[in-house]
Amino acid sequence: MAVYRRNYKPYSGALTPAWSRWLVLFRYSRRNLFRSKFLTGLFVVCFFYPLACLLMIYLAHSATFLQEMGVPMGVLSIDNKFFFHFMSVQGVLAFLLTAFAGPGLISPDLANGALPLYFCRPFSRAEYVLGKSSVLAILLSQITWVPGLILFAMQASLAGASWTSTNLWIAGSLILSSLIWIAILSLLAMALSAWVKWRIVAGALLLGVMFFGAGFAQAINAVMRADWGHFFNVAYLMGTVWNALFQVDSEHAIPVAQAWVALLVYCAICLALLMRKVRAYEVIR
Amino acid sequence: MSDGIVFEDVSKFYGEILGVNRVNLSIPPGITSLVGPNGSGKTTLMNLMTGLVKPTRGRVQVLGYRTDDPEHLFKILGYSTQFDAFPKGLTGFQFIYSYLRLAGRDSHSSEQLAWRVIERVNLVEAAKRNIAGYSKGMRQRIRLAQALAHDPKVLVLDEPLNGLDPLARSEMIALFRATAAQGCYVIISSHILHEVDVISDQVILLSNGYVVAEGPISTVRGEIQEHPTQILIRCTRPRELAARMLEDELTVEVSIHKDERGLLLKTRDADRLYLALNQLALQGIDIESIAPADDDVLSLYEYLIGNEEAVR
Repeated sequence: MAVYRRNYKPYSGALTPAWSRWLVLFRYSRRNLFRSKFLTGLFVVCFFYPLACLLMIYLAHSATFLQEMGVPMGVLSIDNKFFFHFMSVQGVLAFLLTAFAGPGLISPDLANGALPLYFCRPFSRAEYVLGKSSVLAILLSQITWVPGLILFAMQASLAGASWTSTNLWIAGSLILSSLIWIAILSLLAMALSAWVKWRIVAGALLLGVMFFGAGFAQAINAVMRADWGHFFNVAYLMGTVWNALFQVDSEHAIPVAQAWVALLVYCAICLALLMRKVRAYEVIR
Repeated sequence: MSDGIVFEDVSKFYGEILGVNRVNLSIPPGITSLVGPNGSGKTTLMNLMTGLVKPTRGRVQVLGYRTDDPEHLFKILGYSTQFDAFPKGLTGFQFIYSYLRLAGRDSHSSEQLAWRVIERVNLVEAAKRNIAGYSKGMRQRIRLAQALAHDPKVLVLDEPLNGLDPLARSEMIALFRATAAQGCYVIISSHILHEVDVISDQVILLSNGYVVAEGPISTVRGEIQEHPTQILIRCTRPRELAARMLEDELTVEVSIHKDERGLLLKTRDADRLYLALNQLALQGIDIESIAPADDDVLSLYEYLIGNEEAVR
């Protein structure tokens, strides 16, 4: 045995708070994402419709413009349906953005076997998932509820206090409908990204889950002459919840409460799939 | 904070597959090498001590910290895996810097530490290049750097010498020695047995998930009774010495060296042989040197694992 001088002195300075470490992952993942010109372009495109909506709100309150165009006041109505359509358009864009950005979040780490590197730090699996999902959550927030609330604030400022107090619930609906959609999309994209190591295949699978899920649901309903096939159609479930949140009249085959439960079950399944796969070591039998 | 890396009756099963079984170890400071064939449980043992896998049974403690307490454990532990694994798209500097941030160091300290460790592994010129463009040796060195960056007291290195050229290997070995000399724990797994032999203060031999032997190499060798100790004696009159040594009942075998300037002797009692050689030297036989010929990891591996492997 060698003779040791034992002059090792461990670091005794302050560490950054444990809760903030996932932000490191967020920062790097986001920077990586925006290296793609296509994604940057798509992200910019996502703001076109909110800008158009902003213009519509302004014009709806511009008496001069309406007189010049010969449009009676009140035709361009800014109400729950207006915000429902806003969410529908932005929801589709959010899906497209997720299909492009989501699969690349975890699959490269898995393909490169980099997970042990993350987990041999004071950093947990939950923090890893939080760090990665926050990239999508913040990205999608920027094109859904954040511009939605800006539009609402604009309308509230132009329409006055009475409109605001009557329609304040719309702001809540904007936030809630966006959050559940963001949660579903982020978790689905990451779960697929974790189980399929190829980014392109994971992206295709996400599209598949949405479109083939809808087709499968229709087929089941037609063959079984039932309505429960809709539980396989995430977009339909989401539509049901949004209709209820924005109080838009629409007939739905399944009750809103069941649609909520089904969406939460989807989230739970995705989380379970993620936690199963996001491990320092995978044992291959 | 108690000393040592302690395994108490630790077993790890991956379903029906045995990782390691009933391991009881207490690893002291210095360089400890894990030696064993593929699938013997070296990486499992490393993953257990770094908390990356949980033991099916038993308890692992690293300097008094539980391995399921990453917040404390990874302040004092650095791990370099055997796999060539890097997150995509990072430069060498970004790789080290980002992991230091993840370990809780602030921006300024991370930058300083990153450059310091990059310098230690001689990668300053390549630090701003993407890791994807690194050679195998450079990737090995940057991986070592991420394990060393936060000045851990326990350094766990899985196959750290693979892919390094002889110069880089000797640099790395010097680095391990310097780290161990500070009173740190350096745990290495390696297949390069002659290097293990040179650098290790103690070895842990593993086979089929079991610890076959542990301790300083000479101590382990001394406990293997069924294999007579081999001793190389350099002298001017080897044939005469061979004849004299064969008179001793504990001498098992003697062979004359090819250059006729020495002999290789197998004995069941090395201590008695050394005493006998002293006597012979006093009687006028010119003995230049005496050295054990199988007091190394290679021999231990052959004696303790080699046969088992052959049977399999």
